[in-house]
Amino acid sequence: MTAAPKLRTSAAADPPGDARAITVAVAGNPNSGKSTLINAIAGTRLQVGNWPGVTVEKKEASFEHAGRHIRLVDLPGTYSLSPYSQEEIVARDYLAHERPDVIVNVVDATNLERNLYLTVQLLELGIPVVMALNIHDEAEAKGYRIDVRRIEERLGIRVVPTSATKKKGLEQLLEAMVGTALARGARKPVDLSYGPDLDAAVRDVARELVARHPQLVDRYPLRWLALKVLEDDERVSAETSLDRDAFAAATLEHLRTAHGEDLEALLAEARYALAAGLAREVLQKPELQKIELTERIDRIVLNRFLGIPIFLATMWIVFKLTFDLSSPFGEWIQGMTSGPFKRWAATLLGGVGAPGWTVSLVNDGIISGVGFVLVFVPVIFAMMFFITLLEGSGYMARAAFVMDKAMHAVGLHGKSFIPMVLGFGCNVPGVYATRTLENQRDKVLTALLVPLMSCGARLPVYVVFVGAFFPQNPGTVIWSLYVIGIVLALVMGVVFKRTLFRGDAPAFIMELPPYRMPSFRSLCLHTWEKGKHFLTKAGTYILAVSVIVWFLLHLPWGVESKKDSYLGKAGQVMAPALAPLGFGTWEAASSLITGVIAKEIVVGTMGEIYAPAPEHAEEAPTLGEDLKEIVTSFGAAVGESVGNVVSTVGISSLSFEEKEDHSALKGALRGAFTPLTAFGFMVFVLLYMPCVVVAIAMRQEFGGWKWFGVAFAYQTALAWVAALLVHEGGRLLGLGG
Amino acid sequence: MLPLGLLGDGEVGEIVAVAGADQKTGAARAEDMGLRIGKRVLMLNNGAGPLLVKVDESRIAIDRGVAMKIKVRTA
Repeated sequence: MTAAPKLRTSAAADPPGDARAITVAVAGNPNSGKSTLINAIAGTRLQVGNWPGVTVEKKEASFEHAGRHIRLVDLPGTYSLSPYSQEEIVARDYLAHERPDVIVNVVDATNLERNLYLTVQLLELGIPVVMALNIHDEAEAKGYRIDVRRIEERLGIRVVPTSATKKKGLEQLLEAMVGTALARGARKPVDLSYGPDLDAAVRDVARELVARHPQLVDRYPLRWLALKVLEDDERVSAETSLDRDAFAAATLEHLRTAHGEDLEALLAEARYALAAGLAREVLQKPELQKIELTERIDRIVLNRFLGIPIFLATMWIVFKLTFDLSSPFGEWIQGMTSGPFKRWAATLLGGVGAPGWTVSLVNDGIISGVGFVLVFVPVIFAMMFFITLLEGSGYMARAAFVMDKAMHAVGLHGKSFIPMVLGFGCNVPGVYATRTLENQRDKVLTALLVPLMSCGARLPVYVVFVGAFFPQNPGTVIWSLYVIGIVLALVMGVVFKRTLFRGDAPAFIMELPPYRMPSFRSLCLHTWEKGKHFLTKAGTYILAVSVIVWFLLHLPWGVESKKDSYLGKAGQVMAPALAPLGFGTWEAASSLITGVIAKEIVVGTMGEIYAPAPEHAEEAPTLGEDLKEIVTSFGAAVGESVGNVVSTVGISSLSFEEKEDHSALKGALRGAFTPLTAFGFMVFVLLYMPCVVVAIAMRQEFGGWKWFGVAFAYQTALAWVAALLVHEGGRLLGLGG
Repeated sequence: MLPLGLLGDGEVGEIVAVAGADQKTGAARAEDMGLRIGKRVLMLNNGAGPLLVKVDESRIAIDRGVAMKIKVRTA
């Protein structure tokens, strides 16, 4: 089978009690290919949200298959179902309380034993299970032979070999899901034996539970509850206020004398022994295993001397490719929004006899505002694409490993580096990604540092300024801003560690997945998931802000000069505070004020203030000419983009700059800033308070505004000091002021 | 018997004890990820930062602190 199964989404939620609807929970280890598998099945139909009450990402998809309505719920990737991390709690609470019709357990066929450990725990729930034996193609290529039939017999479940990246086995998996769900009851997984002593104890506890706590038996799967009671599971104990020692006293006494006090460890051992035994039984590995490619790459990439240089070089290449690929398209969009779109809008509004100010509102407020942002859609998507590539290929985990030592100096570990790297795309996912960390201290500290990572929204500001002031080496200047952000994050980390966050960094444990080439389709899907956020932001709320800014600039009614508008007045109040930094003008201050809503808006406002749209006097091309121009210039953009990549080793080719007539703003900026103050301004934009969306994200993650307040205060102070240092330092070096 | 953290690159050891595997410590997470008693581990990278060990088919990066809690027997 090669094509993806034909799926149809259904917008409506399941009507409760619809006998035909099937709920499928997807569980598996991290790095088992679970999300690739879900993407292959559900594709763009996935809805991303949050698990209620916690900030763990929840993915869901609804579709029809074989006449059945299927609701797919992706559980967080976990190694076990213990109650000690948010992910594990989310997964087990969902399974124990929602009791889906079937669990699809995604198992990495190349790493059977450890994955089976989770399988054993899933089976305890008594919910029908279908195993997706994923990454099966790779296991075969390694010479592994897995006896699928034997697993099915031993566990009493259906097992379907799949390869999510190659889209193999998906149809069979869907069929097995539906079949298993419909045969509910008839197809129950085997109750695995944990040895006679433990089995007897589980039986005794279960019997007493039924007799003494029938109401609990409705709330939890019985055998699972009995096991949890034996383990003295802290979460279940808290939920049920059951006391383990009130149960099956004689059996427990026997267990303890025979096996020691720690029944939780005893059960963990028993489960692992089962997983290991099953893996031995069903898996045949070739005698000799060659040194894997992953290990050979790791020897270089993780080398103690080469690791960090390789990481920095990788990031540099990513930025370079991002700009080279995307800038021609950005220019193309700019050409479209600044020319034809405005002409069309003016013609339309003129045609219906709308007053002149509406033309200005639509053109300068709406089209310019959104246009300025849309110009950066290609950059942001290209950046997201490469970050997704780094994640999917397995390199991102290496970056965490390589950076661990440096991060320790900051009181964090390498894992915290991933939210920070994501912060390069957009700080918001970076803040949300802190939820993958294990404890509150790490989460908060990381989230405070994430806004120092230069996000995609700051790029537009850099691109405009770099185009105007540093056209010879744009890549290097922008790269230096990213580096400044990183260095200051390290510095602030040390400061926070010594002040707000005393105490040791917790243990670092992380799996480094094998290197894999992610499929182009899955790269695009993930890129889309990430970029969509920016698009919706640009489409809706940045639009609203551009309109508000337009009004702030044009009110009080009939205001003649921008300087006397509300925004201009606010800028005048702020300007003296910025004077020591070299850009104490009301224009710069006003732009910065609007930037707190989203930093890319700084550029839009500057466009409004410095380079108001000229009167449209030139003879307008016809609609046909406009359309033709749009199409041919798109073709040229494609050509240029390819050319840039081909010549990427050569001269920097950040080419936003060339077409002077398209960017009156850059000309105006050259009059208002010097290269030195321009750089200081960029540093300020990099550092000053995080945007409103980040504020909301921080509030969601940590409750209340406290931590956002800390971020706001320290960043604005930091921005001011850093820009001052740039200005004064630059003058000392004789770079002019 | 020596701590896992003292194995050199390319050395192999068999885990004989995991100290303090109270569920909340790093050692317990390490167990969930497959670093359990009886497992043979191969030290892939014991450099300046965290350690990288291979157990079965997983490469697991762990803190030196956790690695010192895991005792191994070399062959």
